[in-house]
Amino acid sequence: MLRLKDVSKYYHGGTVNEMCLFRDFNLTVDEGQFVSVVGSNGSGKTSMLNIICGSIPVDSGAVYIGKECITHMPEFKRQRRIGRVYQDPAMGTCPHMTILENMAMADNKGKSFNLRPGINRRRIQTYQQMLAALGLGLEDKLHVKAGVLSGGQRQAMALLMAAMTPIDFLILDEHTAALDPKTADTIMELTGKLVREKNLTTIMVTHNLRYAVEYGHRLVMMHQGSIVLDLSGSEKEAVRIQDLLDKFNAISIECGN
Amino acid sequence: MTLLLGIFEEGLIYAIVALGVYITYKILDFPDLSVDSTFPMGAALTASAILAGQNPALALFLSFLAGAGAGCVTGLIHVKLKVRDLLSGIIVMTGLYSLNLRFAGGRANVPIFNQETIFENPAVDRLIPANLRPFTVVLILLLIVLACKFLLDLYLNTRSGFLLRAVGDNETLVTSLAKDKGTVKIAGLAIANGFAALAGSIYCQHKGFFEISAGTGTIVMGLASVIIGIQVFCPDHRPYLFRLRNRTFSLRPTAAVVAGSVIYKACISLAISLGLEANDLKLITSALFLIILVISGQRRKKVKRHA
Amino acid sequence: MKKSMRSIKILTAAFLSLSLTGCAGSPPSPKDGSPAAGQEDPGQTYTIGIGQFAAHGSLDNCREGFLLGLADEGIIEGQNLTVLYENSQADGGIASQINVNFASQKADLICAIATPMAQSAYGVGKKQDIPVIYTAVTDPVAAQLAGPDGSPVGEITGTSDKLPVTQQLDMIRSVLPDAKTIGILFTTSEVNSLSAIEEYKAAAPDYGFEIVDMGISATADVPLAADALLEQVDCVTNLTDNTVVASLPLILNKAAKKNIPVFGSEIEQVKIGCVAAMGLDYVALGRQTGKMAAAVLKGEKKASQMDFQVIEEAAFYGNTKAAQDLGITLPDRFTSTAKELFTTITQ
Repeated sequence: MLRLKDVSKYYHGGTVNEMCLFRDFNLTVDEGQFVSVVGSNGSGKTSMLNIICGSIPVDSGAVYIGKECITHMPEFKRQRRIGRVYQDPAMGTCPHMTILENMAMADNKGKSFNLRPGINRRRIQTYQQMLAALGLGLEDKLHVKAGVLSGGQRQAMALLMAAMTPIDFLILDEHTAALDPKTADTIMELTGKLVREKNLTTIMVTHNLRYAVEYGHRLVMMHQGSIVLDLSGSEKEAVRIQDLLDKFNAISIECGN
Repeated sequence: MTLLLGIFEEGLIYAIVALGVYITYKILDFPDLSVDSTFPMGAALTASAILAGQNPALALFLSFLAGAGAGCVTGLIHVKLKVRDLLSGIIVMTGLYSLNLRFAGGRANVPIFNQETIFENPAVDRLIPANLRPFTVVLILLLIVLACKFLLDLYLNTRSGFLLRAVGDNETLVTSLAKDKGTVKIAGLAIANGFAALAGSIYCQHKGFFEISAGTGTIVMGLASVIIGIQVFCPDHRPYLFRLRNRTFSLRPTAAVVAGSVIYKACISLAISLGLEANDLKLITSALFLIILVISGQRRKKVKRHA
Repeated sequence: MKKSMRSIKILTAAFLSLSLTGCAGSPPSPKDGSPAAGQEDPGQTYTIGIGQFAAHGSLDNCREGFLLGLADEGIIEGQNLTVLYENSQADGGIASQINVNFASQKADLICAIATPMAQSAYGVGKKQDIPVIYTAVTDPVAAQLAGPDGSPVGEITGTSDKLPVTQQLDMIRSVLPDAKTIGILFTTSEVNSLSAIEEYKAAAPDYGFEIVDMGISATADVPLAADALLEQVDCVTNLTDNTVVASLPLILNKAAKKNIPVFGSEIEQVKIGCVAAMGLDYVALGRQTGKMAAAVLKGEKKASQMDFQVIEEAAFYGNTKAAQDLGITLPDRFTSTAKELFTTITQ
């Protein structure tokens, strides 16, 4: 389904500060798979997502969705098939537009943004049902500006909006990291439910080892631009948080910390 | 009375610029200096078109289109050539200065005193009764400004308009919606500069002549109108303007900037009437401007802290 | 500073002369009726608006002259005249607001100084039935402030500050008998400069000259354009081009290094080092304008009954120091009739 083939990425290329992030990096994600990605800061998790989404270009290698090579496709075109939720809850909604307007825009993704009315009145009820399913009471606040919502409410909306139209992938970029633990749990539950219902192929980067263990079919640990642990099936089922912590420590010791 | 009418005439003409600046400054968050040259471009084209015997109303339309074209150029320079926003505007502003002189037939001052304009033509004489004559200009201007305001309101509530609002609010979301944020910005700049050129065309027909220096300070007037209007009539911290019998009333931002433009012109007129030293007028304008900006900046910070 | 000194001098002179005439004959109280204002209602007072387009030495002189001209006719500021003065700082939007403001304060007449101000005043005056008297408008016909034959187009008339081109060419010819080319620097956006250049080009062959013109678009272009121009010409003459005049010291400096004479177009330019000028006396121009305004105010004539006026006879201004530095002698026939001769160069 998704494939990164021999991807290399350098920062500050050609200078003395040249830093290699990825060298011949490979990753394949099958359709319908939910992959959790963990790793220390600077291990390349977010850069990997950025490469998949096209936010940063690669220096060599290729990115495929199915059989199609999307290495040089501009970011906004790739997004037609990708839904992405960011760490910062403000990134997923427009603060000065109302909840209804935000929902209507997300609903129109992939279609033409033409001169027809921005809000399709016949869809309002559907939006309300979707919002009601979040259990946050947003269905009664359709005309409230998204900017006044709490981080958790915004992130829930962002999740809903990202997956509103049919997409091939859901990319979750530490999407619970900026929330308090309780809200983070709520958002994570919503995520699990959404992915199950829509059977979405998902890549989730997280620092929360518990979520990585509890959710998903596959667990990947990254370190310095390469995959150091890749568990799926029964191995994934069996893994405990403590195992992951041990692995982390082992890597850190190798690095001399 | 004369003074009041004068304030409204000036205020309404620049209100159209203010609507454009509202799009660039408030919606797109793009400090677009090209309006300083698209405004006189509208005036230059209008003077030439009218002298060539074209219909004055057609000149309005032409000016809008030409302004929109110039706005596209600013946008393309910014988006495709990756030049910073302020600089893109300056490049277009500088270049258009020369082009404007060409549009005006190589002259820096083109009078059209004895030509038909949207304000002076047989149809207006026929339609407007004699006792309303003194109000003719204000009435016609009001009609045009309201038309512009309602069209802009309508547009901002279309799908395309949503995208325009989104791009200034949260660029990332526009990308997430699989739309090219650059194209949206270009469209916004086109509309804004179309408005500026339209205002220039009206200005030329109202004053009866084109003058190359007419554009100087257009952006300042536009910005002042937008900031005054938004601050006075629809500040962030207050969801409504006033309350009457449990009903709340508020102005849309588009209406607020129109009002802001009239208020700004009233301030200038007041400064002149008070006999302030004419040479200090520009200093006063910029001081006023700074004060408004500082106040609005502080207020914004407060709102953020509370959020 | 120099200019303000000059203004003070002129004003003092004006007040002195006024107070003198006051003592001499006409009683200070308008009730008794002064001889100059014989046929008018003695208690009559006037309010006029003077709108000046930009702050500029020559335009300031116009304004001073205008008030002198009114005073000549017995209309004196502070006595029977209230003057509303505004300066638009070269901003067209402000210009029209200034005129609307004059109208709302029920001005009896608007005096508009410089072309854009005059055009703006015309628009406002037409609607409010306020006569407009302009000055320092180089080409009233092109500005549509007068009909093609120079006749008035409405209640608007005034004076033109058109350059005395042929007289200037004649003067340059007698100062420099061997010169072949005259260079002129001008700003492409100034209408007045364009029409002056055309006039120079048309008249130059009669005096055996060839005109080399070079356009600039901003002050920043002056140094390079001046260098290029000075390579090609025997002498330089100036118009009343605002941008170029503002950079005149720089041009004079460059020309002096190449020993090329620079001629001016008015007194201020000669004072700072131009060799000579057949120029307009802007104070005199303003004064002439003031007299026209007085006629309108007193009801002797309507603005629409007067054609716009030009000053026929240009005055000679010379700078002997500048001439000496270049090894030129100014011909006697000019120096003997000079309006003013400077012996130093004011920096």
